[in-house]
Amino acid sequence: MNEVDTLPKSLLAAYERFGGQKTAMRQKDLGIWRSFTWKDSYEQVKYLCLGLIQLGLQPGDKVCIIGDNDPQYFWAQLAIQSGLGVAVGIFTDCAPNEIEYIVSHSDAVFVFAKDQEQCDKLLEIKDDVEKVKRVIYWEEKGLWNYQQQWLTSYQDIQKLGQEFDQGNPDFFENLVNQGQVEDLAIFCYTSGTTALPKGAMISHSNLIVGCDQTLIVDSREDTDEYLSFLPPAWITENILGLTFHLRTGMIVNFPEAPETVQDNIREITPQALLFSARLWENMMAIVQVKLADTSWINRNLHQLFMPVGYKVAHLRYEVRKPVGILWQLLNWIGEFAIFQPLRDKFGLTKVKSAYSSGAALNPDVIRFFRAIGVNIKQLYGSTEAQVHTLHVGEDVKFETVGVPAPGQEIKIAADSEILISGGTVFQGYYKDLEATKKALRSDEQGKIWFHTGDAGYLDEDGHLIYMDRVKELITMESGEHYSPQYIEGQLKFSPYIRDVMTLGGETKPFVTALINIDFDNVGRWAEKHGVPYTTFVDLSQRPEVYDLISQDVERVNTYLPAAIHIHKFVLLHKEFDADEGELTRTRKLRRRLLNERYADMIDTMYGEGDVVKVRATVKYRDGREGTTETNVRVATLITEEERE
Amino acid sequence: MTSRSTVLRVQEINLVFGGIQALNNISFDVQTGDIYSIIGPNGAGKTSLLNCINNFYHPERGKIIFNGQNLTRLPPYKIAKLGVARTFQNTALYTGLSTLDNLMAARHIHMHSGMLKSILYWGPAQREDLRHRKVVEEIIDFLEIAHIRKSIVGALPHGLRKRVELGRALALEPELLLLDEPMTGMNQEEKEDMARFILDINERQETTILLIEHDMGVVMDIVDQIVVLDFGVKIAEGIPDEIRHNEAVINAYLGKPEIQ
Repeated sequence: MNEVDTLPKSLLAAYERFGGQKTAMRQKDLGIWRSFTWKDSYEQVKYLCLGLIQLGLQPGDKVCIIGDNDPQYFWAQLAIQSGLGVAVGIFTDCAPNEIEYIVSHSDAVFVFAKDQEQCDKLLEIKDDVEKVKRVIYWEEKGLWNYQQQWLTSYQDIQKLGQEFDQGNPDFFENLVNQGQVEDLAIFCYTSGTTALPKGAMISHSNLIVGCDQTLIVDSREDTDEYLSFLPPAWITENILGLTFHLRTGMIVNFPEAPETVQDNIREITPQALLFSARLWENMMAIVQVKLADTSWINRNLHQLFMPVGYKVAHLRYEVRKPVGILWQLLNWIGEFAIFQPLRDKFGLTKVKSAYSSGAALNPDVIRFFRAIGVNIKQLYGSTEAQVHTLHVGEDVKFETVGVPAPGQEIKIAADSEILISGGTVFQGYYKDLEATKKALRSDEQGKIWFHTGDAGYLDEDGHLIYMDRVKELITMESGEHYSPQYIEGQLKFSPYIRDVMTLGGETKPFVTALINIDFDNVGRWAEKHGVPYTTFVDLSQRPEVYDLISQDVERVNTYLPAAIHIHKFVLLHKEFDADEGELTRTRKLRRRLLNERYADMIDTMYGEGDVVKVRATVKYRDGREGTTETNVRVATLITEEERE
Repeated sequence: MTSRSTVLRVQEINLVFGGIQALNNISFDVQTGDIYSIIGPNGAGKTSLLNCINNFYHPERGKIIFNGQNLTRLPPYKIAKLGVARTFQNTALYTGLSTLDNLMAARHIHMHSGMLKSILYWGPAQREDLRHRKVVEEIIDFLEIAHIRKSIVGALPHGLRKRVELGRALALEPELLLLDEPMTGMNQEEKEDMARFILDINERQETTILLIEHDMGVVMDIVDQIVVLDFGVKIAEGIPDEIRHNEAVINAYLGKPEIQ
């Protein structure tokens, strides 16, 4: 008996275990959720695979798939792998020339293309992809009158396979059992923003190790529901979706259309979800907007119980203290009044693992979802080594991306680059030895480390803090590396800070910051706390406001390495202004210009004294110019003596 | 193709509003399975002609023969039952109902259960409802409007409303589909989508389509035959290539400034 060490073998094992009764997948079609059992999946894959063999699929052949999340996508991938081939996913929004690049580069012999839209793209590049023998589609709409021999339907291939199977009943099982754990399973082409996309080669072993070790900290039941809406060409969907499905029997649901994902999540109420940070932020914004339109009773309940939710979440997750009985009771009423209904609206009633990935998530968003009972965790990974780190259980820290997944080893290189070693590390880039050598390097012991190109550091609890790409880092006088973007991003999570530019570099002994207060929020705070002010200039220079902002800067300092703590900052007397060329129209900092314009302040921060007299020219919107004169104070958080 | 039959025959239609001759002796034939377009400057009488076909307007003279039957004496609902569906220049949907209900409403001409049966909703009435729901769901899938199935139509953007209206016309399962400016007010992408839907409808069920459209790019790309009207008079008829080079058409469209 063979070990279950490839994806197709996992399919056979699951079919043996669950048979023709248990639902494996569901898809909403014509408004109704339709189920497919494990037997359905098995047969679909078997006949498709045998059909491909009839058309000449050889072991090691590459086959591309372009399509949305459909059972047919998963089946196609498994059929290719059952035939000992490699599946190459392509994103559906790729333009014909991008598709042409990936199809040619991967030497694909077949292409699965979902529908008319994708088939049209392939017909456009037909002459440039001569190796492709057939294009196979699974949605017929609009293709009825296409007369090309080159295009074949999914069903036709399966019919071929079915006929063959009748004469050779054991062929498929034997074929699957020939698969080796070290065989390549998929190529994931990384989006090339600067260079051409690179095809990361990922083996069955990579996928299965990645899946099994993530399951140790985040388990799944065969009754769990999952909604497949992340692009299936992406490594994340291959792990959290397909491989989890095969290894645990978790039910995978496919949305009706890409536009219906939100509705479908609500219908399915999945146990596990991964959204981008942006999407979580959006969901919170939706609540704020809808609140304005709702009935007064809902509004009042929200006003009454949200603070309770925030308080309890604060005690539970941040202070980590037992929650008093009174708070528990209030929280329990809140649960009925608003938390549960809110979770229901988003389909989050049953979610056990809610992940965010991509960018850093604003702590306010995390606090909001914790208040309504959803503990969002961060997950950090890459195509090349899958899940690097994640938050496990209740051990969630806002500023980190979690701890290494079991089996993952993490090391920080001298230049702050994050290095990963473990069973998930990929096999190299297809036909790109140079890039492979750069990404995969072995140390003295012969252990292979994947060089992520990301920079970060580990905190005292073993959590990883992600900073930026290595090439964005700046070296300090001390030789320490620091990421302006990262520190600025963390500071901007404060509602009182609108913009900030940090300063550092080889000529500078420590990090300093030029900070723009958020006039609206700080103004509101000032009114509430009885701090009188007249204008922006006046407000920005109030000692109380300096104290307020100092708290935020110190908070960020607590989780930065000591060498890159912010020692001094100033609160600017005016906002950075795109009209004056200080920001781009998309509100990105024009660093060089800001360095020149605020040279006086910068010099003072690195020199003597703590007050700068500024005369700044101001360009009004109508084109006139004026000047303002004021004193700007330098706040010192870490004094010279402390530095020594 | 040779075995094409004439599905619609417009014969010497005259329509007068007071002193204005809106349509003057208009005649043309539409073959089964064609996409046929009526073009012309504003006020040429295009919509009036469409209104004559499903008898919103009653022509003074002339005949409109659909599958051998004269439509000029029939009320609009009977014409719908015969298999002529249409959409309007300014969408005319039930704005307070959902997309699904708008489409289901169009199925009424195919429903047979009486009031009592429908109230009981048991046995035949339920089966009938399910059957119609399936037809409607297929249209929803076809037009890619699943995400707005339960949305109130009044709150939808213009482009989607146009699509819902097309869906409602399709729910009648028409043999002849009249589309009055299906792409007005749409952006380029929406127009391309709509053009694709029109082609697919035509291809899938051989539905004959008669459409009015201003976007010449679209018309020239997708239609088989064009008839050109100007001030109620037919000035040209033919395939897109002929029309493109027709003197009279160029004059009517380009020669005189028109009020847009």
